[in-house]
This record gives sequence, structure tokens and C-alpha cells, in this order.
Amino acid sequence: MALRVRIASILAGLAGCWLLDVLCRGMLRESEQRLVVLAGLYVTLAVSLNLINGIAGQFSIGHAAFYQIGAYTAGYLAFFYYGRLPLQGVPWLIAMLFLGMGTAALAGLVVGLPSLRLRGDYLAIVTLGFGEIIRIVVQAIDLTAPTGEQVGGALGMNVEPRIRIVGLVWLFALTCIAVTRNLCKSSHGLALLSIREDEIASAAMGVQVPKMKVAAFMIGSAFAGGAGVLLAHSESFISPSMFPMDLSFIVLTMVVLGGSGSITGAVIAALTLFYVPEYLRGLKAPDGTALTATGASLVGWIVAVVAAVVVVRWLAFRFRGTARQRAMGYLATAVGLLVVGRALGWILSSVPALQQAEYEVQKLRMVIFAGSLIVIMLVRPEGVLGRHEFSWDWLARVLRRQRAREAAG
Amino acid sequence: MSLLRLEKATIRFGGLVAVNEVSFEIAPGELFGLIGPNGAGKTTCFNLITGMYRPTGGRILFKDRDISGLPVAQIVRLGISRTFQNIRLFGSLTALDNVVVAAHLHRRANLIDALLGDPRSQADTERLRGEAMRYLSALDLQDVASARASDLPYGKQRRLEIARALATQPDLLLLDEPAAGMNPAEKEDLAGVVRRLRSEFGKTILLIEHDMRFVMGLCERIVVLDHGEKISEGPPDHVRNDPKVIEAYLGEAV
Repeated sequence: MALRVRIASILAGLAGCWLLDVLCRGMLRESEQRLVVLAGLYVTLAVSLNLINGIAGQFSIGHAAFYQIGAYTAGYLAFFYYGRLPLQGVPWLIAMLFLGMGTAALAGLVVGLPSLRLRGDYLAIVTLGFGEIIRIVVQAIDLTAPTGEQVGGALGMNVEPRIRIVGLVWLFALTCIAVTRNLCKSSHGLALLSIREDEIASAAMGVQVPKMKVAAFMIGSAFAGGAGVLLAHSESFISPSMFPMDLSFIVLTMVVLGGSGSITGAVIAALTLFYVPEYLRGLKAPDGTALTATGASLVGWIVAVVAAVVVVRWLAFRFRGTARQRAMGYLATAVGLLVVGRALGWILSSVPALQQAEYEVQKLRMVIFAGSLIVIMLVRPEGVLGRHEFSWDWLARVLRRQRAREAAG
Repeated sequence: MSLLRLEKATIRFGGLVAVNEVSFEIAPGELFGLIGPNGAGKTTCFNLITGMYRPTGGRILFKDRDISGLPVAQIVRLGISRTFQNIRLFGSLTALDNVVVAAHLHRRANLIDALLGDPRSQADTERLRGEAMRYLSALDLQDVASARASDLPYGKQRRLEIARALATQPDLLLLDEPAAGMNPAEKEDLAGVVRRLRSEFGKTILLIEHDMRFVMGLCERIVVLDHGEKISEGPPDHVRNDPKVIEAYLGEAV
């Protein structure tokens, strides 16, 4: 039974990725396919960091470094060896995938070692430093090829051949999700969680804390490294500026926002945080010109959102009433937000200074993005999904309850 | 033969000697008590035995093997497990999962199997779950198996700590103030549990306790610590009447 379910899920995964690949090829432009690839890579990064950060509880903020190590492993190897070995095209990419995972895992081992001595903030500082060291070292390496050509350095390097396969990227993301989920369902996963909960008690129950911590770092880094390999070949160009410190923080944000420790949360947050700025970037007024907003309406909306956050926090944390009343409260708040935002904007438009100031919404997209992060953290500190996971059992339970209610009503 | 033997175990923190040349022996199957006023070094003694502190002097032998300075996880593997005075459960895990973590010590599948979701690993985890459930039932916690540990009432948290310690399958079980904060009825209950740990599970038990009536009624032998030093040792009746103990701890009234 268990084996049949396993084979079925593997086949379903393969079929899903193949279908995605075919659909993307058929329906999307090259630039849009690129976004789907990047989304898959972000999902991989978020899920793999979730393993280190959310599940094992080791505060790491240098995840971009492992991504970069994978990418540069692929870059250098492609430069020096592509065409000289009997591997080409996709088999080459897959070979690189494993090599990139290997080098990143080794780096994970190196970073994991301080985690044996350091906790919390101190470990975070070490991983941050490590991330910067990797980026700067890569930037400083200028290799000269036998042909006299300069490779790498601050200007980056071309990675040949260019291989962008949406299906493969998502298959890798899916593998990362599956591996993490398998781990979580085993007693080994519980051992990791126990380290997050209380390291001393965990050791006292016989968990080999050092080994498990380092293992979490190595597995998480390996997947980030693999993502780096896929990035290098998909973009066909890599440079140190593609792996800034911000990237580590964005991935960390995805983990925290989705709900630390929840794989489903990491996936949802990665997709949302990746696509929302992209969507805002493409936002246009109906007539095709840039979408603008007056200072009056911006101030109106900001005030309305702040008020809504206060109300939602009160409903979520202080309100004593039935779940139904609370849900009605949320609904009322949402309606109130729209009405108040509009009304305030209208009232404020009588102030000439506010009415005359015009802003392009596109240029404010990172402000909107950051603002929504603050809002989500205020109204739901444990992350969108908290520690919940999606599972078919859960879906079945919900559907069954729904049906029972319909039958009763 | 003794199961556990402390030979002049000593630990200094800077100038402070927390445990000073303490020696005692526990025979297999004994119910042994460790008492003393606050700050006498009882919990420090536990921390020495379980490897959380490395003794600065003396030796600790378990099954005739010197275990002083071994890593904590290694000592658990040899057969010593403990509970904590200030409950240290894995708060956001369920009661059952708390116990599974401890039973994980006896897993058969390795990490690679777990990552690949190998059926062997799944079966193994199921087996550990079953075992964990048995320990929960033994402490009458089967009904709260799927509740979060931090949501349990205090008394159940204390019992869960014992179930968890039991799941590592120790020969020697160290209980750090298991009855702290319990009412007389709960304490009576707990005494029964502790006796059953020995009769049903064959554990040797070393416990720290403040409640004199509880210790005197339960333990066969008792060591009294004061200011890090052993001041008395023997059966309850002997200890109760030892003038040094009365002076240091029990006071005139008892």
C-alpha cells in the first residue's frame, strides 16, 4: 500500500512537471517562462531554508551564499569543461546539479559547525558574515583562461550552454518539498523539531544534537546549491550582484511569513512574495499609461489600513466571542477598510498640497510590498499558515465535514 | 554490584564548590532519594550524572564504566534518563511526539531512509509511535496523546516528562522533584506511579524531592546534601533522626 502510494505520487509529480513544461512552452513568452523558472527557484530556496530555520530552529541568514556557491560551481565547471566531456545538454545539467548540491552541502557543513557552539542571534551573525565572505571572495576571483579570456570577478561570467527547462526546475522544487516532508513525517524530523523546541532536553532524550544540526544545514544548503546550478544555466549569466544580502533576507521573510516550520507556508509565501512585486511592476492604468495616485488617496489608504490592523488585532487577540462573530468582525473590517479609505481620500483631496502631489504606483511597489509584510506580521505573528501543513487527509476531513453540514442543513 | 557509583564527585564554578566530594552507590532496583535544602547541590548532582556538567574532580561510574565527561546523548544511550525540575517539554509538539522523540533513540531506519520516505523508515516511525503510546498509557496519558504539550495541565506535564524519560528505555531513571507543585492526592497518585516504574518496568530510581513525607514514604535509602556536601545517608528512619539532618534541614519541629 505504502509503496503504491509512493509510486503514484512520484508519477503524479513527474506528470505534473511535464504538463507544466508543455503548457509554459505553448502559452508563455520567453520572459514569462523565465519568471516561472525563478518562482520555482524561490520555492526551492524558501523550502530549504525552512528546513534549517523553521524546522531545526537554526537561525541562518546566509542562504544566498549557498545559492551562489551552486551557481558558480556550475559556471566555472561549464567554462572549463563543457565540450571536453562526453556529457552535453540536459545530462550535463543534471550532473552539474549533483555537483552543485555537493559543493553547497560542503559549505553547509562548514557553516553548520559554528551552530554547535552558537545559538540564536550569534549564529545569525556568523551566517550573515559567511554569506558576505562568499560573495566578496567570488567577486575578487579573476581567473584567466588558457585562451587569455577573463572569467568571473565583479562583472560576472557567461554560462554556456543556456538550458532553461521549466519542468526540470519545478521537478527539483518538488523533490525538495518531498524530501523535507518525508523528513518531517519521520522520527528524525521530530528529533530536529525537538532541537528547535529545547536543545538541552533534546540531548537529554538521546538526540544527537550536533549531528542533526549539521545534517539540517547540509541538506538545506544542498538544495539551495542545486537551485543555483539551475539559475546559472537558465540565465546563462551569473554575477555576484545576483546574490546580494537582500536575497537572503527575502528568502528568510518567505519562511517567516509563511509560518516558520510549515512547508506549505514556505511555498505559498515564496510564490506570493515573488509574484506580487512582479505584478505591481506591470500595473498600468486602463488607458495604458502609468498608474498614478494622489497624495490624498495614498494618505487615506494608509490611515485606513492602520485602523484596520488595529481592529483586526483586537478581534484576533482580545475579542471574546464565538468564531462566527469574529468572522463577521473581519468581514465588517474589510468593508470598513474600503469605505473609510475611499472616504478619507475624498475628504483629504480638499487639501491642495495633497491633491496636487502625484505618485506612480509602480515606483511605490517595494513600499507597498514592505508595508504588507508589516501588516501580515502585525495581524498574524505566527505566519500565514502558522505551523499547519496541507495534507490530503486534511482536505478529505474538510470536505467530509462540509458534506455532513449540507446533509444536516 | 552497584548500578551507579559516585566517587568523590566534585564540581566547582569558579570559587563556588557546588558539589564537594560526594560519594554514594545505588544498587540495581533501588528506590533512592536525594534531599537537601535549596541550593544544596541536588540538581547539580543530576547534571553531573547525566553529563550536562563535567565533574572537576572525582569519578562517576555507571555499570562499572566511568561516564564522567561523556556527552549527554551518549549517557542516555548507556541507560540513564532524567526529568527536569523546571518542566522542559517540547512545547509545540504533541504529547505523543514528545515521547516519540525519546523513543527515536531506538530507531532502526537511518536519516537517508527518512529523507527518501522509504517504507522502512515509515514502518519504523510507526513502530516508535506504538511504543510511545504504550508509555503514555502507562502514565495514563493516552487521552491527551494528540494535545500540544504546552496546552496540558501542570500535573499531566509532569507525568509526560516521566513518560518521555521512560521511552529512552533507561536502567536508571532520575526524577527531579516530580511532585513539586502537586496537591496531596496527586502526590499519592505519583507515589504509586513511581513504585510501578520499578515493579512493572524494572527501573532503578533516583529522585530529588522536597516533600519529606513523600520521600520518607517512598524511598528505601536517602542521601542528604547540604552546601554541596553529603551529611547523611541511610534508610528513612536513620536519616530522619540524624541530628545533622535535623539541624540543617528538617528543623526542630519535625
